[in-house]
Amino acid sequence: MKTKFIIPVVLAAVTMMVSGQTLAHKVSLPKDSPVALIADDWGDSGASRAFALDLHVALSLRNTSSRRIHGITLTVTAQEMTAGGKGSISVPSLNVAPGDNFSVRGDLHLLRPLGTGGPQVEVSLDGVLFDDLSFYGPDKLHSRRSMTVWELEARRDRKYFKSLLETAGRDGLQKEMLDGLTRQADRPQFGVQIVRGRATNNDPGREVQFAFLQLPDAPVEPSDGMARIASNEVRAPRLQVRNKSARPIRHLEIGWIVKDQRGQEMVAASLPSDLALAPGASSQVLQDASVRFPQGTAIQSMSGFVSSVEFADGSFWIPSRTALGASNLRRVVAPSPEEERLLKIYQKKGIAGLVEELKKF
Amino acid sequence: MKHVAETELALYTSGDVSLWRRAAVRLHLSGCEACRARMQEYRADQQALRSVAEDLPEGLDWDALSAEMTANIRVGLAAGECVAPRQRATPQRSWLPVAVAAGMVVLLAAGLSLNLQRRAQAPGLTAVEDRSPLVQMNESGIELRANGNSMGVSGAGPGRPVAVSASMQGTARARYVDDDTAQVTITSVYVQ
Repeated sequence: MKTKFIIPVVLAAVTMMVSGQTLAHKVSLPKDSPVALIADDWGDSGASRAFALDLHVALSLRNTSSRRIHGITLTVTAQEMTAGGKGSISVPSLNVAPGDNFSVRGDLHLLRPLGTGGPQVEVSLDGVLFDDLSFYGPDKLHSRRSMTVWELEARRDRKYFKSLLETAGRDGLQKEMLDGLTRQADRPQFGVQIVRGRATNNDPGREVQFAFLQLPDAPVEPSDGMARIASNEVRAPRLQVRNKSARPIRHLEIGWIVKDQRGQEMVAASLPSDLALAPGASSQVLQDASVRFPQGTAIQSMSGFVSSVEFADGSFWIPSRTALGASNLRRVVAPSPEEERLLKIYQKKGIAGLVEELKKF
Repeated sequence: MKHVAETELALYTSGDVSLWRRAAVRLHLSGCEACRARMQEYRADQQALRSVAEDLPEGLDWDALSAEMTANIRVGLAAGECVAPRQRATPQRSWLPVAVAAGMVVLLAAGLSLNLQRRAQAPGLTAVEDRSPLVQMNESGIELRANGNSMGVSGAGPGRPVAVSASMQGTARARYVDDDTAQVTITSVYVQ
């Protein structure tokens, strides 16, 4: 075989560059961290291949603060500056009382560092979200924003389920859970690739306009959305947004839904945008990226909706369940992490277990 | 115990050492668990690499490529000779390591190039040239790829994610729900 000689040489060269197979690891928490490490287990983590690290980490942490912890994000770093060298593990929907222990588990493959010494992985704290929505941490991964949105969604959904329990009883809540499980099973999930920067498809394609689902209480009104569709690729989405609220906005996310030739809809991606949008002002959201769908997919139409807004004062807006239901978005958009958790509790413990869980909040 | 050199172990795995050295390495392996384990890792990696490097890219003429590489080495050596000082004590001997190093570099680059270009695309997705880092998501999880290679993936754990999502800024997320505790874990990988 002609590649017979190349393969061992490549392997040898890579091996010479990376000495040793033992995974060196450390967990770094700031001195004033609201969580303390009780124990860590790295299982069979290690350098599984020439270029990859398999990480299976389980941390036992203690809430050393005086507030309840509702979310945590840990950064897992094998290489700081390289794509694929860093990941994160977030646990939303927590309810950890001061002094209580909780666990964080995560499984990741990361790019193995090539250099002197053995592979090394560091787990550090990116942020902790408390029950009063205050936040601690360096927030390098913008986890404050993600965890706050998850927490607000959790509150919205628990409130809805509690209200349903009061008005429609256990039967009503059970029906809602069964509907949720059905939607979960029916939600289509295509294979999708997202490429930043230039497109690789030579087909110039055609411009297609977005249709926007206007959520009644959204502080932002999207309009004039366009993207270029070329065979199975959609490129460079752009749209106008106007701040309808009386407060300045600094970040927003637009959910992007596509419909294929069979009429199936799915959320292709989110379009996040950092901007300074004064009340009444308009701005353009533009992403220099492409979304590729499986070969044979023909995108027929696209729609968008405002999925979250962060105001300049640090407060957030998320869609209400009523708005999501009325616009039929719940059929396409994944439920909140909290709804997924409650669905799992219902599956495992039944309606009685779910009711008990709702009483904890 | 003196272990077998990494290079030799890799060459042994692919059957590229001399008969005498092969016997010597085999003898060492029979009594050294560490080297034996290392050799088995090489073998596993070799099989994985072979599975993706088996077929040459369409239209590639290996003989032509080989001749081109050889020619490039010769051109490099000739160019080096042109600009090198004339008065050297033992010019013939000093070229040997240079030639070997140059050959190694070319072969290494060719090997990496062949390997990086021919990793399989995700089923169903268009096989376009993937030079830019990209995030890929499907029902099995999320993955970060560059040059056709997997660079980071979330979803190494048991079970499939209940939801995956990606942002156009290059972040991909996979959400898992623990069967026993119902705890939700969201793992993310980042292009930038």
